[in-house]
Amino acid sequence: MSDVTPRDIEALLETFESSNWGEMKLKIDGLELFLSKSPGGRPSGGVGEFAAAAAAPIPAPAHAGVPKHDAAPDHWIAVRAPNLGTFYRSPKPGAPPYVEPGQTVEPMTELCVIEVMKLFTSVFAGVSGIVRRVMVEDSELVEFNQPLFLVEPAA
Amino acid sequence: MRRVLVANRGEIALRIVRAAKSLGLETVVAASAADRDSLAAREADRVVTLGPAPARQSYLDANLVVHAAIATGCDALHPGYGFLSERASLARLCEENGVTFVGPSSSSIEAVGDKLAARRLAKAAGVAMTPGSSKLANAAEAVAFASEIGFPVVTKASAGGGGRGMVVAHDSRSLADGFERASVEAKEAFGDGTLYIERYVERARHVEVQVLGLGDGRVLHFGERDCSMQRRYQKMIEEAPASALPEATRRRLYRAAVDLLGSINYRNAGTVEFLYDVARDDFYFMEVNARIQVEHPVSEMIAGVDLVRLQLEVAAGAPPRWEQRDLVISGHAIEARILAEDPRRGFLPSPGRITRWRAPCGEGVRLDTAMEEGALVPPYYDSMIAKLIVHAPDRPQAVARLRDSLKTFEVDGVSTNIALLREVTAHPDFLANQLDTRWLESVFLPHYGQPEG
Repeated sequence: MSDVTPRDIEALLETFESSNWGEMKLKIDGLELFLSKSPGGRPSGGVGEFAAAAAAPIPAPAHAGVPKHDAAPDHWIAVRAPNLGTFYRSPKPGAPPYVEPGQTVEPMTELCVIEVMKLFTSVFAGVSGIVRRVMVEDSELVEFNQPLFLVEPAA
Repeated sequence: MRRVLVANRGEIALRIVRAAKSLGLETVVAASAADRDSLAAREADRVVTLGPAPARQSYLDANLVVHAAIATGCDALHPGYGFLSERASLARLCEENGVTFVGPSSSSIEAVGDKLAARRLAKAAGVAMTPGSSKLANAAEAVAFASEIGFPVVTKASAGGGGRGMVVAHDSRSLADGFERASVEAKEAFGDGTLYIERYVERARHVEVQVLGLGDGRVLHFGERDCSMQRRYQKMIEEAPASALPEATRRRLYRAAVDLLGSINYRNAGTVEFLYDVARDDFYFMEVNARIQVEHPVSEMIAGVDLVRLQLEVAAGAPPRWEQRDLVISGHAIEARILAEDPRRGFLPSPGRITRWRAPCGEGVRLDTAMEEGALVPPYYDSMIAKLIVHAPDRPQAVARLRDSLKTFEVDGVSTNIALLREVTAHPDFLANQLDTRWLESVFLPHYGQPEG
């Protein structure tokens, strides 16, 4: 186990989000971190196993074990899935995502769509603020009430 | 078949999870938010939350359920009973998406699901139905028809139901008098006074045959059940076999059920329900339930089979190798439905936290439940919390076993019908098996809770 604390990762995320970098890859002791701003961005190795695990035929929650989601400030608001379905960050394959971390949103800003048997439902921010985190990988199965985004509400 | 999505809740979800596991299948329970921590969800390999607690946004949404099956890599889906289990649309959605539906084909569900279509099927298969007339012009025509089929008869409004236009007549004279009255009543209620008449069954028992179709025209049966103990068409106690039936009638009943479903190459578990006319010793087709039923355990006990396992095996293309003649019916089984309802307050549902749960057990006692001490009975769904099933060599011994079991069954935290069941099962009519579908409501309940004498 490394000495990296959740607070350190949080600081790294902040730095990355406010930067103009496209990707960041980090390796300290046993910890590997891959951050990307491009939709469907995949690391070339290491962390990529998580994506592989999501597609593997073992029934385990696909979102388990991703380390970048812990320790958010208490006042950040989670935007949650209204029902089970497949999460898509962009309107169609290859299109830019509805929102990126760091982006300012209004209550009626569309954040993503949830697909159920080819029927797409938009999920709106429901709050004014800044998108801080995307909690789910694109085209992943999400369950009812699962946090999809963290939004820092406007003061 | 490798992995089954369980699209249901409560005891039947748990029952399906266990049956699937016994066959080496993986299980995914698709639950509402209210059932995320249920026993079925905990015993399954995985649970996914479909939506919020209300069934319309979770268990009753076919798209959600099938999406969950596909996304979790399930190659089969078991619908249980209730909810979407008899929606042809769910079966079709599964068929179109390569998910094996553990039940009949969508076309079979359609063929038996529509009442008129089912009656046509029954007629074509030579299955008896309540004798009835077509539209009648006047009282004279009614009397002529009634004389043919025999009294008593009941008039019914062609344009609607709900008791309007219904007059029971025991002879020509009362029919002639009642016909005009019924016609006026129907005209006032529906704007159309047209009537037809049907044979009136004064004392009816609800009997049904449990079958398993193999999909190739062969249909196995597991004996019959008697479910006459009902309140507002909800069954409360079910027995197998229906000991009131003469053996010859029983044989004809099996034949009718097997012929009816064999005629459409029915696949998987199903039940054919009949009305048994006690006075005439005759039965009439009512409907087909194209699913596993709540009361299936009583048939399992007397036939020595696991019907949910058989359902999965038939769906997987591995039907049983034995034949009808290999199946031996033995003993008598009774099921009592334990409901979280308060019989003394109009059967008001009583959801809440179960603070004490002392369930009976022992030789010939089976309890199908997903409840335990500390569990919550949510307010969103059916109030059934357990099925107490007993099996013994004959009816008197089964009744004794049921009564002993009910005596020791203690539940606190929610109101239940256990005290009511204790009294019902101690009633002389129940002991003597002198029952019909109206007994509970017309004989027992009017006096229930009133002081003796």
